[in-house]
Amino acid sequence: MFIDKSMTRDVVNVRPETGILAAQTLMAQKRIRHLPVVDENGILVGIVTDRDIRSAMPSTVLSEAEKATEERRLAVMQVKDIMTANPVTVSPTQTLEDALLMIHKLKVGAFPVVDAQGKVEGIISVRDLMRAFVNVLGLEEPGALLGIVVENKLGQMKKIVDAISELGVPFGSILVSRVWEEGKRAVFPYLLTSNISKVKNHLRERGFTLLDPMEWYLDQLPKR
Amino acid sequence: MRRTGFLYDERFMLHKTGPGHPEAPERLTAILRGLEEADLLSKLIPVPATAAEMKWVEKVHSPEYIHRFEEACLLDLGELDSADNQICPQTYETALLAVGGILNAVDTLMEGKIDNAFCAVRPPGHHAEMKEALGFCFFNNVAIAARYLQIRWNVGRVGIVDFDVHHGNGTQHIFEEDPNVFYYSIHEHPSFAYPGTGREFEKGSGPGLGTTLNSTILPGQGDEEYRRKIMRDLIPAFDEFMPEVILVSAGFDAHAADDMSDIKLSTEGYSWMVKRIFRMAVQYADGRLISVLEGGYSLDLLPELIRNHVRILLDL
Repeated sequence: MFIDKSMTRDVVNVRPETGILAAQTLMAQKRIRHLPVVDENGILVGIVTDRDIRSAMPSTVLSEAEKATEERRLAVMQVKDIMTANPVTVSPTQTLEDALLMIHKLKVGAFPVVDAQGKVEGIISVRDLMRAFVNVLGLEEPGALLGIVVENKLGQMKKIVDAISELGVPFGSILVSRVWEEGKRAVFPYLLTSNISKVKNHLRERGFTLLDPMEWYLDQLPKR
Repeated sequence: MRRTGFLYDERFMLHKTGPGHPEAPERLTAILRGLEEADLLSKLIPVPATAAEMKWVEKVHSPEYIHRFEEACLLDLGELDSADNQICPQTYETALLAVGGILNAVDTLMEGKIDNAFCAVRPPGHHAEMKEALGFCFFNNVAIAARYLQIRWNVGRVGIVDFDVHHGNGTQHIFEEDPNVFYYSIHEHPSFAYPGTGREFEKGSGPGLGTTLNSTILPGQGDEEYRRKIMRDLIPAFDEFMPEVILVSAGFDAHAADDMSDIKLSTEGYSWMVKRIFRMAVQYADGRLISVLEGGYSLDLLPELIRNHVRILLDL
């Protein structure tokens, strides 16, 4: 799963000399929150976010005189004055997993995707990852989720898949909860069928334990 | 007492879904038995089933899809679009009869010969999309009836109440942009139930923004939550929309004893809900209401639930 398959290619770039008010307008118009900053050759030199711009805005509690001064100052401010220079980037051949882990770890919302020369090829944001996640879960296909708890040992998944396949029911996706109780895992098949009672009865007959839907979770917060 | 029409035809049983399929012809046998035992059949006004004219079906479904459906039955392909939708050579004609019968019920209602109607049809309709069979549904019965009311009878505002335990994705999508058809559905929360649509943030789009409304019920919940959400969501919405006719997608699978869902609505809970909808019809639509069978798979339960349903329509 390479980044270049999921990134936004139609990137809106700005130049270091772009005024920050113009950059703000651009973000609002295009409904985006990150603008890569490039030089005359399209080489990345920085990134500016809606948050950088908001921090540069004058406080709302200023007097009229102070406001006028601030507005004059803003009118001449350029992107290069507030951008993050040399931001963290990814390459098109890095993977979605890389991007996901980096976003998680570095707590940033997007990375410019650049080639070996530093030229911007795209941008990968939380939004792109969300779209990929919705797709992977099969959320836009009609279906229903089941929760099954199994021993944490080899071969359990095969048994589940076999039992469901016997009924001719297609899978949309399968999620596995990594942490369940000691020695157990929870498996959540998303099944593309409305005939869910048939599947449930079949699984019970096969000795599987179904989870009460109110007990489902994928990721439990650490206990305090 | 009200004049209640009753659509039923033995030919609705010709749509065979094969052994073990929950949407079975026996559902109608159970319904009929329930009405007979309570001596209600004689109080109902029969509505005949005739094959629907193609031009009305085409108001909702694409000609390509209709053709594909017909051909799949002619060739006896066994299923349409997925294994959920079992078909036999008679399924296409049965589906056309169901739609035609419902349109007859609409005519009879609009001509003032009945006050309301219950349509015991198969196959059901609310999952059927414009171009796709889904969840045991082929033609979207209620959606076609709503279009027919708009076009043939010039009805300005049609209100649809869908209380099948599953969200009526087809009906919602068909009227998503139509401000003149209000689609309200109450169903098991989509994270726990088929088909996974009908989240509370889905409210229609474009000119139809605000005339789609979904109430979701969590697994294990029942009467109290239904009461709370219907009073909070449906009642104020229809107070404002003021439908001229109410169509009901009547699914009986939210009952605690129906294993198709995790929802625990009781027999009394069903009666309360139907009475509340009936009251809205009287309030805004001069009583005009057509209820169309969707899901509900427990053969033990259907007789009683349908009996209560019809008694409420008769206003006994």
